[in-house]
Formats: sequence, C-alpha cells, structure tokens
Amino acid sequence: MTGGHRRILVVEDDPETAGQLVESLTSNGYKVDLATNGSDALSRGAAGDYAVITIDRMLPDIDGIAVMRQLRDDGIAAPVLIVSALGEVDDRVRGLRAGGDDYLVKPFSFVELLARVEALGRRSDTIVKETILRVGDLALDLVSRTASRRGKDILLFPREFQLLEYLVRNEGRVVSRAMLLQHVWDLHFDPSTNIIDVYVGRVRRKVDGQQAYPLIHTVRGVGYSLRAPG
Amino acid sequence: MSGTLSVLLAKTLTSSTFKQALIAIGTFGMIVSALFGYVYLSTSSYVRSRSDRGIMTEYSSLQGAYERSGRDGLIDQIQQRIADSNFANNVYMLADPSLAALAGNLREWPPTITAANGWIEFRARAFSSEVETGSRQENATNQESGAPFRFHRNGKGSSEALPNAANRPLLRAMLQTFPSGDRLLVGRDISDLDSFADQIKMAVISAAALLFVIAGVASILVTRRTVGRIESINATSRAIMQSGLDQRIPLRGTHDEWDRVAENLNLMLDRIETLMGEVRQVSDNVAHDLRTPLTRMRGRLEKAYHGQRIGEDDQALIGDTIADLDAVLRIFSSLTRIAQIETEARRGAFRTVNLVEIAGEVVELYDAAAEQEGTRLTVVGDREVLVTGDRDLIFDAIANLVDNAIKHGRAGGQVVVANENIDGKPVISIADDGPGIPAHEYEQVFKRFYRLEHSRYTPGNGLGLSLVAAVAHLHGARIEMLDNSPGLKLKLWFSAPVR
Repeated sequence: MTGGHRRILVVEDDPETAGQLVESLTSNGYKVDLATNGSDALSRGAAGDYAVITIDRMLPDIDGIAVMRQLRDDGIAAPVLIVSALGEVDDRVRGLRAGGDDYLVKPFSFVELLARVEALGRRSDTIVKETILRVGDLALDLVSRTASRRGKDILLFPREFQLLEYLVRNEGRVVSRAMLLQHVWDLHFDPSTNIIDVYVGRVRRKVDGQQAYPLIHTVRGVGYSLRAPG
Repeated sequence: MSGTLSVLLAKTLTSSTFKQALIAIGTFGMIVSALFGYVYLSTSSYVRSRSDRGIMTEYSSLQGAYERSGRDGLIDQIQQRIADSNFANNVYMLADPSLAALAGNLREWPPTITAANGWIEFRARAFSSEVETGSRQENATNQESGAPFRFHRNGKGSSEALPNAANRPLLRAMLQTFPSGDRLLVGRDISDLDSFADQIKMAVISAAALLFVIAGVASILVTRRTVGRIESINATSRAIMQSGLDQRIPLRGTHDEWDRVAENLNLMLDRIETLMGEVRQVSDNVAHDLRTPLTRMRGRLEKAYHGQRIGEDDQALIGDTIADLDAVLRIFSSLTRIAQIETEARRGAFRTVNLVEIAGEVVELYDAAAEQEGTRLTVVGDREVLVTGDRDLIFDAIANLVDNAIKHGRAGGQVVVANENIDGKPVISIADDGPGIPAHEYEQVFKRFYRLEHSRYTPGNGLGLSLVAAVAHLHGARIEMLDNSPGLKLKLWFSAPVR
C-alpha cells in the first residue's frame, strides 16, 4: 500500500505474542524479521534496512528504549514503535512522539498495531507539503481550515477539523480510537468510554449527511477508516 | 513568628501535659503550704511558750519574795528589776485590792483587765516610774542606750497622748491575786515575738508564692517541649496523610523517650512502606502476568474473527467476546493506572497548568456526548486558574467527572464546569442537576468498584471516581461533595501552584 520497502523488525521476547505479530504482519504483506532480545535486535537493526521496528519495552536483557537509543546512535533512522505495558508508560515513553516514533500499550489489538505500523511506515516516505487535501468529493483547505464536499462548505469546530484532517491524511488506513486520542487530543490514555465514537459520530453526520456516499467507515472493534468508494 | 509562638503557647496551655502539671503543682503546693503552715505555727507557739516560761519563772520568783518578805519586799524586788536593764523587756505591776498602783512600770492598773488570775494579753506602754529615785532615771537612760526598749524610748507622758491604742506594744502577762487581795502582774512585751511570727509568716507565704511561680514556669517549659515534640509527630502524620509514606519524624539525637517514640514510629512507617510496596509489587505482577495471556487470547480471537471460513453467527459471537475481553482489559488498565498514580512517581513530571484550558478541552471532547443526551455543557468562571500538576491526569479526572455528570445528570438538564480562584486556591467544580447522591454515600462512591444502586445497570465499572480520588490525592487536592439541589456538585480544591 505504501510502496517502497515493507520490511519490519519485530523485537518481542514472548514467543506466542511474537508468533502472532509475525503472522499478522506477514499476512498484511510485510516481510518480518524477529529478534527475541535486545542484543539480537541491535545486530539485526544495524544490518537490515527496515521500514519500521517494533520493540517490546520489557526485554530480558536491555530496556526497549535503550535499544531504540542505541539504534539511533548507530545511525538507524527507521521509525520505532515501542510496545509497552500500561504501568511502564512513563514520560520517556510519552516523549517518543516528539522524535517521530510511537508507542502502543499492551494488550493491543493487532489491527491497532497494523494501523500504527502503517502510519509510521508512511511517515518516512511521504513528506509532501500540500495546502489542499482531497478524498473523493471532500476537500480540506489546510490554510483556511475549512472543509467542503462538492463545493459545499461543512461547518466544523476546530477540533472536528483536526479529526477529519487526521482521517484524511491516513486515507484508506485504519485509525484506532487511541490514535485519534493521541493525535487529535494529545491524550495518552483511554477515557474508557464511547466518547470518541460519539465525537466521530457527530463529525460523520456533518461530513456524510445527505451525501452521495459515505467517507467515514467504522472498523469494528478498532476504530475508523476514511476512504472514497471504488 | 509571634503568630506561631502564640499558637504554640495556646497549644501548650490547652495540652493535657500542662493540665497534669497544674494538678501536680496544686497538690504539691498544698502539701508545701501545709508544711510551711505547720512550721509557722509550731515556731510561733514554741517562741511564745518560751516567753511564757520566762514570765512564769519571773512570777514565781516575785511570788516567793512576797511570801518571804511581804508587800514591801516585793515592791523592793520590783523596783530593783525595773532598774535592771536585764529585765528591760518585762513589765511589772503590783496593785492593792483597790487596784491602786503600788509598784511597777505601768502608769496604772490596765483598765481592760477584769480577770483575777491567769494569762492576759493587753496593750499598754511601760515607762520608767517618775516616783522612783534618781538612779532609776539613770538606769532608764541606760536602758535607752543599751537595749532598745521601744515603749520606754518614746518617753514620759507621751504614751497617753497617743490616740491609737494599737500603736502601743502588745504585752502578755501572768496575773495573780494574793490572798491579801494584792494583785501582781508580771508580763513581757511580746511585740517582737509577734513581728517575728509575722516575719516567719511572710517568709512562708513568699516562699510558697515563689514556689508556685517557679513550678508554673517550669511546667510551661516542660509542656512546651512535650508539645513541640508531639507537634512534630503530628506534622509528620499530616504530611504522610497528605503526600505519602516517604516522610519520617525528625529525631533530635537526645536519645530520650521522645526520640524512642519517633524511632519506633519511623520503623513502623518503614514497615508499612515495605508492606505496601510488596502489595503493589504483587498486584503489578498479577496484572502483568494476566495481561500476557489476555493479549494472546485477544490475538487468537482476532485471528478467528478475520478468518476466511467463518460463519456470520460465529463472527458475531467472537466479536462480542472480543468486546467483553476489551472491557476486562479496560478494567485492568484502570486498576493499573490507579495503582500507578498512587505510586506518585508522576509527581516528578508536574508543571504549571491552567485548569481553564484543560476544562475547556474536556468540555470540547464531551460536547458531542452531551449533545446526544440533550444536556447543556458549559464552562464558567475565571480565565486563568493555575495549578501545579500532571495535565493528562487532571484531564482524565475532569473527564471522568464530566462523564459522570452527563451520565447521571438529568436528560435535557445542564452540566456546569466552573473554574475559580477562591482565597488563592485553585478550585474546579462540576455540577449537574440530576438526582444527585444521598449524603451518606458521599464517601462510598470513591471506593473501587462502588456503584450506586440505581446506576448499577448503566455502563461503567465503578472505577472512575476512584481514579479521580487517586489523581486528587496525588495533587494534594481536597474533594468536596455538595448538594446542588437538585443534583450533585463536586468540588476539587487544589493547593496554590508552586512558583
């Protein structure tokens, strides 16, 4: 989907989780290498050219973040997704976002993981400055912060525009609720209610109401995906 | 400074130690007063009885002279004694049955005396008789220069001129009527004894007074020391309740019983801290160990859900199972999150944040949800209410409160989030106009998994307010629940931001 190389390094010490990760990523068209500890991860990471590296925070030998730092020091620029249990989500993990990397809290759904990996992999090859984003008949003007469908303006609150922009930028990919919370609201926790669904529901009514076809689709158990038909 | 001193003094005066000290002082003071009183009484009675014995001896000797040589012999003896400076303190009077003075150094038979025999006390001024010979006069002069004899020194004739009888010396005398009817009075000036007794009395009273003052001051000092130590223990206890178990009571290095109490309390705190750490460790491990199989389980279910050869019914079944599993995982996450907040590790990342901004973002996030319920959700109050804290956690807490307010408020009602600075304290309140909570359940709702009876069947897991409580505790904020009549108003009182 993203073009270019689709090799992924998975660093995970639990055999079953690792197996599921590898299987899930492979079935989605990635070529996956597995490292089961920190030193293995460092040697593989330095040797290969990976689109994305996922690292479990709790490794038997080296801390996942230390592995990431070491890879960076070795000149490896591939984006890193740190997989961390909730109790281990501290400021260092939260600080990852600034460096272009991401984190995922265990337990996670594999669809969520795929969505993250997709988003991270894309980042490395599409950095295009656009002022207008288009999906089907929807147009987002990033300068005037306005949205329209078939030339008809859609009235959106700033946060609603942000949400729509994020969905449009990830066109065709699954965007999880947690991703929306992180990217649109800068929240690093799950308010554990259906609040995001309600919010997306309102945006959806504004965007898709009385239109020829819907753009925002619900992905059961995970989140949303914005795509034009066909 | 003077404020804290006066507070300390007030605490000193109301402390039980001081009350006990007062009781001790009172008891001790009464014993000492009784002792001093006894000393005073026995001293004065001893002095008096000595003087009485002297009078008795003198009387017996004069009585002997009367019996041996009759009235004239006695007069002789009396005159000799008056002339003798060794007897300067004595008074003598011999009167005939008609009470006319025959000899002695009193001007007249004291008119106040009516008794015939026995001990009498009266006030009168002795003088050196003018009817006596010239030698008496000389002796009187000697007396004046030798032993200071007050009533003598004041001179002749002036005694009656003194209008105040109390100015005359107090005399104590033995009075006897001889069978012939002659009366003999032998006495002594006891004014000096009196003033001696007075002096003892003064000494006893001032000693007792001094004792009370010293004991009072000493007990205040001792009590203040005690109160000071107890206050430091109290202050530490309060700090522990407010901010956590890492505080310890300072030792003074005096190795006294207070240091031992503080040491033992500190050891107890160490133990509690260790135990709590262990409990936390255990629950962390449980959470972690459960999370791994749950993650695998979810993975398998997901794989099955997206599988190729699956019927629609099975897919729905698996989808519902995944949703339920997610609910379980969310409870886990909430519990872990609350536990993590309670470890207070996040306090290191505190910075100054504006409650108004956070509240605004929460309200924006919940705007759609409120709209769905037909609830009017508004933010009111000050523009800037600064607190020192963790933005995400405060957001989470406010989000939970707003979520509750929308869920448990009245459909079509309103939820008001108010930010205020009250007396320099940042306060945020979330109020709904729903059915509210009975006052006796105010405390209960913060317990984990606690759910009000009427909300047991609405979505939620009863952990929201526990999280709010944990966040509030981490920030040293006080939660106040009020009746919004109708509805519930929950206030979070933060402490003033650290600059």
